[in-house]
Amino acid sequence: MRVTSTRYRTLLLALLCAPVTACDDASVPAPLTQDPDAGLKVYHHSMDESPASLDPVQAANIYANHILENTLDTLYAYKYLARPYELKTNLADGWPEISEDRLTYTIRIKRGVRFQDDACFPQGRGREVTAADFVYSLKRNFDPKNRPQGAWFWQGRIVGLDEWKDAGSDHAKEVPGLLALDRYTIQVRLTRPYPQLLDTFAQGYSGVIPREAVERYGREFGVHPVGSGPFKLVSYDSARAVLDRNPHYRQEPVDLAYEGYDPATQRYSGVERIAGRSPPFVDRVIFDFASDDASRWNSLTKGDEIQYAAVPPEKLDEILASRSPPRLKPEYAERYQLIVGLEAGFVFEVFNFSDPRYGYHPDPVQAGRNKALRCAIMKAFDWPARNESWYGGLARVFPGVIVPVTAEFDPDTPVDTITRDVPGARRLLAENGWNAGNLPEFVYGNSAGVKQRMMFEQLRAWLIDIGYPTEKVINKNYATFGDLSRAWKQNELPLISKGWGLDFPDAENTLQLFYGPNGSPGSNDANYRNPEFDRLYEEASVMLPGPERTAIYRRMNEILLQDCVGMTGLSRTRTYLWHKNVVGLPDREITGGFWIKFVDVLPKGESARPADLGQEI
Amino acid sequence: MDLLRFALRKLLAGLPLILGVTLLSFTLMVYFGPDKTYQLLGKNPTPEQIAEIRHELGYDRPFVTRYVEYLRQLVTLDFGNSDSTGEEVNAVLARTIPVSLALELPGFILGNLLAIGLALTAGYFRGGWPDKLIMGLAVIGMSISFLIVIFAFQIWFCTSYGLDWFPVRGWKAENLAEYLRHIAVPTLATMFVALGYSTRFYRAVIVEELNRDHVRTARAYGTPPARLFYRNILKNCAIPIITRIMFTIPSIVIGGALLIETTFGIPGVGKVAYEAIVSGDQPVLKAVVGLTALLFVVTLLITDILYRAVDPRVSIR
Repeated sequence: MRVTSTRYRTLLLALLCAPVTACDDASVPAPLTQDPDAGLKVYHHSMDESPASLDPVQAANIYANHILENTLDTLYAYKYLARPYELKTNLADGWPEISEDRLTYTIRIKRGVRFQDDACFPQGRGREVTAADFVYSLKRNFDPKNRPQGAWFWQGRIVGLDEWKDAGSDHAKEVPGLLALDRYTIQVRLTRPYPQLLDTFAQGYSGVIPREAVERYGREFGVHPVGSGPFKLVSYDSARAVLDRNPHYRQEPVDLAYEGYDPATQRYSGVERIAGRSPPFVDRVIFDFASDDASRWNSLTKGDEIQYAAVPPEKLDEILASRSPPRLKPEYAERYQLIVGLEAGFVFEVFNFSDPRYGYHPDPVQAGRNKALRCAIMKAFDWPARNESWYGGLARVFPGVIVPVTAEFDPDTPVDTITRDVPGARRLLAENGWNAGNLPEFVYGNSAGVKQRMMFEQLRAWLIDIGYPTEKVINKNYATFGDLSRAWKQNELPLISKGWGLDFPDAENTLQLFYGPNGSPGSNDANYRNPEFDRLYEEASVMLPGPERTAIYRRMNEILLQDCVGMTGLSRTRTYLWHKNVVGLPDREITGGFWIKFVDVLPKGESARPADLGQEI
Repeated sequence: MDLLRFALRKLLAGLPLILGVTLLSFTLMVYFGPDKTYQLLGKNPTPEQIAEIRHELGYDRPFVTRYVEYLRQLVTLDFGNSDSTGEEVNAVLARTIPVSLALELPGFILGNLLAIGLALTAGYFRGGWPDKLIMGLAVIGMSISFLIVIFAFQIWFCTSYGLDWFPVRGWKAENLAEYLRHIAVPTLATMFVALGYSTRFYRAVIVEELNRDHVRTARAYGTPPARLFYRNILKNCAIPIITRIMFTIPSIVIGGALLIETTFGIPGVGKVAYEAIVSGDQPVLKAVVGLTALLFVVTLLITDILYRAVDPRVSIR
């Protein structure tokens, strides 16, 4: 009763004192680049969406990771400037000792690293980070109460972890394959070799948190993460997140060569200014969640608000003097720095092989006809038109599922599967007995939206070109992406159209999308099952990177193309602008946000770009 | 005592409304709303994980059990935690409702005052050029999409392409000057659009009153215009005006202003409510719908009491 009346009072007070409360909100900093009153050096970063939860076990997207990678520590991280991406040690004190059979990893963590000061600790003073904290944090991914989303990285991989979950996820009980041997030593024992294990320890999911915080904040830990990263979250709502410098962050001067600095391509960013200094270099980072393109653009160009933003596709012609190589018009080059780069991921459209009208069929003859139908639809697909219509012509179309940013990508893969060939498609259909009368309905599922509808209409026009009757190409709208995802997982649609962002820079991350045992509701929404593909996947999954593994990956890619799995793929080009007084080289790919701790801000009017460089990058 | 009895009777009479609204909205949420399960799953889920998530969300419990739980939450004002962020729903509302109120109240108050003033002017000069001008502007205000008004005002007042007087995005209310700077353009945009609807409505009410015998008589006796408008017209128009104003309040308090909040980066309740709708965050939705229904009942009661205050002929028995 007491609780109830308190709640009534709280709500009533909130309503009555609304304007006063709003006027008392002192947690929101001034929207200036450098607020002279507070004397703070502030970096304003914009994102096109807001994260849902900041609990690391739910860090399923780059938006959450942008904040968590700067709030928490992971054992490993990606180098700031090295491309292709390379891992480096972070909280881990050096590389692990790996047993001969590659099943046991012994990882030491740095001594003296402290959690951020927080009310969850005695006297509010953060305590030292220990190996047990990592063990606890990783085990949380296997506790259903936390609604974890990253368990799949370690499922069936770590000895005893699945059994620990099946026994009720009791944190008092040990997992034999995940132990804190002492205060600073972690031991991980695997069921089979896992070459990507260290990559998984760079993910937000494995961010190290103190148990005290989870126990204090409960479910609200999702809006109150506590870690040992370079910044501490001080406020978070639907419009922005404010992170302040962690004054106790360890002193680790930047070694640009170690971080993979390439003066030829990166000097323009001015990152040489941070060499030898210990991050973080700004007092405050403000993430503005600006989903509306126009508003974000207006804020960027205003000059004293957000300092970094993705460029809306419709603005590309306004800002670029040349697309290849990308070069800013002089009026923009005066004020902004530019980066144009491929995403670490791709968009693709694959057939649902569990649909007997397009995929597998018990009758071998029909199965052959279905394959011909899939191949014909692939030939109808006009990639250049799609690229021009939706990605400003800047995206990269490639054959297969090994994306260009990975080392395993083969630029010499034949491009016939991504080349439009309407006569060839018509011939293929006719040879296999397909005609307007017997072609199956083609239901295209998408989430409701004008753009999605237009994409459907474009695809329908291409299908009509190869002989599909208009009425057989049907659009099916779903209210949300979650509903569309449910339709895929429940095999309701013949075609799956989605995007995939790499979790780590290894082609395994996209090839697993076609591994048979990952079928629905797993990541293999296509329900593709090919014994040869699965055998190769299993063989490669325990191999270390190298030419032999790359050859297997490329063979798997060929198998997918030969089976006409779908229209794939396209890596989008990201275009970003940032103010010239910001020292940094943005990159939102892979875990996202790992570069922000290196950002510095110069006084307004100064430029990070070396004076001797011209406009071209 | 009469007033207290009246209030209690009104509140009791509001119970079926609350039950109806909550039952209908809960049915829609459960059977037609977005399925949160598939947003909370990892990239490579198993059927067991889907079942675990559904259990955590309470989707595996009978409808009636869940609805009774909803009513209990409404009575205790404990809506649990958001399914998206994990934050307590009460904390979300206590944080966002004041922001939305601070954002919308100035436009609401100024807009209505201005609309009444314009409606009186238009009514007084009915058929003349001031009337035509005001009604013409009202139609323009009503005809332009709110979204276009927001963007036009943002570009005009806030950006380097225009006057560049106010911030494009953000919310800062540390002092009155900053607060006014941040609400100026949202308030102007809200007023621009709302003014058209309100002015037309109030004018219609006022014109109807102008045609009444007692007004004609007062005019014939030479009552000065100000006195005529205040004593003979405005007081008699008070009931429809109060009705319109009062019934806007619940949507201001709980509904917020989605477009304004999204475009100007303001952390109000409108954006939270919208995101709850599209993401299927049932705890937040249940709170928003339930509290809106409650507020409507309270508003009905206050409106009835106000009727009595402005018109003694209205009985509160």
